[in-house]
Amino acid sequence: MLSTLYAVLFYIATILLIVGTGMKVLKYARTPAPLKIPVSPAPRTRAGVVQRMGREVTMFESLFKSNRWIWIFAILFHYGMLLVLLRHLRYFTQPVWWWVELIQPFGVYAGFVMVLGLLGLLARRIVVNRIRYISNPSDYLMLLLLIGIGVTGLSMKFLMPVDILMVKQFFLGLMRFQINELPMQPGVLIHLGLVAILMIIFPISKLMHAPGLFFAPSRTQVDNAREFRHMSAWASQLEDLPESIPTEEGK
Amino acid sequence: MKRLFAITLVLFGLFLGTAQAEGLYPDVPKAVGNPHPEGSAFMRINHMKLMRHDRDDTMHNGNRDVKYSIKECVACHAVKGPQGLPISVKEEGHFCKNCHEFAAVKIDCFQCHNSKPTEEFTALLMRDPAPTADEISAYLKELRE
Repeated sequence: MLSTLYAVLFYIATILLIVGTGMKVLKYARTPAPLKIPVSPAPRTRAGVVQRMGREVTMFESLFKSNRWIWIFAILFHYGMLLVLLRHLRYFTQPVWWWVELIQPFGVYAGFVMVLGLLGLLARRIVVNRIRYISNPSDYLMLLLLIGIGVTGLSMKFLMPVDILMVKQFFLGLMRFQINELPMQPGVLIHLGLVAILMIIFPISKLMHAPGLFFAPSRTQVDNAREFRHMSAWASQLEDLPESIPTEEGK
Repeated sequence: MKRLFAITLVLFGLFLGTAQAEGLYPDVPKAVGNPHPEGSAFMRINHMKLMRHDRDDTMHNGNRDVKYSIKECVACHAVKGPQGLPISVKEEGHFCKNCHEFAAVKIDCFQCHNSKPTEEFTALLMRDPAPTADEISAYLKELRE
């Protein structure tokens, strides 16, 4: 009974996550960027932008430059979570990919690292006065949700073991449209419940900074306003101006 | 919005619905002896702790009268191969193997320990009137003492 409820919950959560995020990304992609506003010093070529975005995505370069403490906790959390997520692929693949098997032991340490990073970020919200002043309930909610997921996950590893084979059977089953039993243990139910909540609110939360980063004109634009005229889509449909400055496409 | 929703549902179905609906839980071979008094469900989630605990108890505290031993595990859970002899963990169908591969958990026990039962136990297992579960339990008890 509860297994069926969780199965339905996960179907709904998955659809909301995919469709919701997709719709938000479409909206981001369609939002006009009428002005040339790359944050300087900005790269002056496309290749340069790709490099800068690469550093931003993998190393959080701008955060590193602005605040070292937050950067440390952010890196700990994000890379910890990356490894943890990859480790969880074992529940969705059969046979398990060799490299997923390889990272299993490291994923456990990554779990602790992830929670440590989150606790650091939470402490910042509470301890630093000006950050506390600008913190909204949703800022806390995201941190607490992720901490809850991390802590219940770790506790299933170390305090209250569960039949992970049944968990895997449940998720492989969902991927084949059959509903199997989940182990009825509080660790599993809380962990999965929190994950479903996170999946559902992901598209309407600040966690959208993940896809959003790729649509930030201040990071994705090339600093070539001197060479080319910057035209947004709607503006290029207007009549030509008398002076013919070439646009980016080289017209 | 509605159309997008429908399309996603259909794609989802196409992607995942093609797989066969079959038994997903790995095969767990039957043991030859009596069932665990603690129950299989308990053993499934706690066996690793019992083994680890024993190791520490034996190695650090010198306690040799521990309740469980890997010798008993591999004896009672012996799976006979094509030749009728108990198979090692390297062979397909070994008791530990299916679940551990399913869960992507590496077993390091057998880097040192034997994954096959002792020769005496194998002999008992191969005896012509097959040994009863009680006889096997008696043997395992002896092994412990």
